[in-house]
Amino acid sequence: MQDTVVEKVLKHPKYVELVQRRTRISMTFFFIALVIYSGFILTLAFMPDVFAQPIGPGWTMSVGVLTGILVVFSAVIMIALYTYVSNKTFDPLLAAIVRDVE
Amino acid sequence: MKKFLLSTSLLSLFATPAFAATGQANTSAIVMFLLFIAGTMVITWWAARKTQTTSDFYTAGGGITGFQNGLAIAGDYISAASFLGIAGMVYVSGFDGIIYAIGFLFGWPVVMFLVAERLRNLGRFNFADVTAFRLEQTPMRVLAASASLLIIALYLIAQMVGAGKLIVLLFGLEYKISVIIIGALMMIYVFFGGMTATTWVQIIKAVLMLAGGTLLAALVLMAFNWNPDVLLAEAVKVHPSGASLVAPGALVSGNPLNALSLGLALAFGTAGLPHILMRFFTVSSAKEARKSVIWASSFIGYFYLLTFIIGFGAVALLVRHPEYFNLAADGSFDMLKDLIGGTNMAAVHLSNAVGGSLLLGFMAAVTFATIVAVVAGLALAGAAAIAHDLYANVIARGRSTEKEEMRISKISILVLGVLAVLLGIIFEDQNVAFMVGLAFAIAASANFPVLVLSISWRGCTTRGATIGGFLGLVFATLWVVLSKTVWVDVFGNAEAITPFPNPGIFSIPLAFLTIWFFSVTDKSARAVKERDAFTALTVRSQTGIGRSGAQDH
Repeated sequence: MQDTVVEKVLKHPKYVELVQRRTRISMTFFFIALVIYSGFILTLAFMPDVFAQPIGPGWTMSVGVLTGILVVFSAVIMIALYTYVSNKTFDPLLAAIVRDVE
Repeated sequence: MKKFLLSTSLLSLFATPAFAATGQANTSAIVMFLLFIAGTMVITWWAARKTQTTSDFYTAGGGITGFQNGLAIAGDYISAASFLGIAGMVYVSGFDGIIYAIGFLFGWPVVMFLVAERLRNLGRFNFADVTAFRLEQTPMRVLAASASLLIIALYLIAQMVGAGKLIVLLFGLEYKISVIIIGALMMIYVFFGGMTATTWVQIIKAVLMLAGGTLLAALVLMAFNWNPDVLLAEAVKVHPSGASLVAPGALVSGNPLNALSLGLALAFGTAGLPHILMRFFTVSSAKEARKSVIWASSFIGYFYLLTFIIGFGAVALLVRHPEYFNLAADGSFDMLKDLIGGTNMAAVHLSNAVGGSLLLGFMAAVTFATIVAVVAGLALAGAAAIAHDLYANVIARGRSTEKEEMRISKISILVLGVLAVLLGIIFEDQNVAFMVGLAFAIAASANFPVLVLSISWRGCTTRGATIGGFLGLVFATLWVVLSKTVWVDVFGNAEAITPFPNPGIFSIPLAFLTIWFFSVTDKSARAVKERDAFTALTVRSQTGIGRSGAQDH
């Protein structure tokens, strides 16, 4: 019985679309997160002087502190964007599949 | 009921003058902490009536909303160690503290994009349900339980020791008594109220912590005309390291590979922490799991920003208060070495400096509450590893009844509680600073690779996952034991064998490569079956279809 449900889902045209799009989008997001994070860590490890500079004349705040704060925001923003895309694209596809199969 | 009475009699010790005299006991702290206990006891009583089945016990019956779960996860994550620890690190070395916070935070995109929703769709109680979904039960459960119990033990020891010392300072209690109080409270919450009580205790504490942190940071900024740059300028002016306070420091300059290695373990470790992953099974669907992550990461990110302000605020403001330092004969002090209670107390002293004894009392009570709540979550994950993985699925091979599993869980909670207290006492005077780092390294090198590959790579087999997972676990542990933090600082040897303390840069790729190699070379009939089962796994992980049926066996 389990197999027939699986087969039904596999044959559903929207299932293929869901898996492909979701995989592509989550991988893209993961890749962007990796670039931001490794960019931060690598700069830190190999070009610490860049981070030591003040962000402008008369400022105490350094490029590193500001970047750090922006990187914190970027993590939350990426997760929020992914949630938005999921709610808008994946959930309707998923609902259609579940409705047809069950 | 006996337990309740025991805890009240323990708590009455707060009121005795003998204890009040030993430290800086603060009446408002004690009153607020007693209020917290009273509130959480009511919740535990309410939760106990709802906790009948294993599903209630491990996952609160799946009835937690995404928002509530996000708060609870944030609560688990902003433990006393990470709040006081990061504020303390910013106080000592400024920018380096920010690096840790970012590493911890970037665990969340990894969790969201790679595991969260699929985890919810595939598992029932804990992440071992997921790794054992199409791979063989016994080896996967034993691997998950070994890594999880080791991570939980390290985390528990670090929390208990850190907490015990903190409470000595904040409440003027004796070390042993404070450790026993934490253990006893934790056992009451988890034993009677299971995941429902553990989650609500965590939610209440997270709200209090976010409110207290916001107030503290606002008071700091207010003192500097709401201008963060003025705050930084003042911090740089008074700190011994001067302008390099806002630049990358010792953490990086010593060894860039070590910094990279630490960064990897922090970012990938979160997706392998058993007590965090377990929270994804308390929500009803993958959609709610997604909501949990967005709320959790928002609260955590916000809280870390507060922590930066608090850390730099402590640098700028505490030097004006010699009363928070152990003074030399001539009245001078070193702001890094002489802070009463050590630099981890920077945030606590700051709350007194900007908000008076009422805010100090509030922050102290919240910190105590935090420790109890985090320890409860850890113990519950430990009980699941023992009762659900080792007992129900390995020893009884799935033939145990729900009642038996529940009984074993409850016994495990009592054993873990006693063990936590004993470990806390044994490790009182040991250097435990390496333990949280090691816990993250094991999570990133054993649990994370096995979890990710088993749900997203068709070729992954039991043989590959078992060998790779155990190798990651053993390699990461040995590396840390042979590094300066343990080999020299704990065992007292003259020289470290490994070049730097963090194993991540080697152990994580090693685990992935080993799983890959021993999977592709696996030609057994079992491997063929496991690869075929990937199709059904994908259908379920993508759609959640079949999940509701599996819940009632």
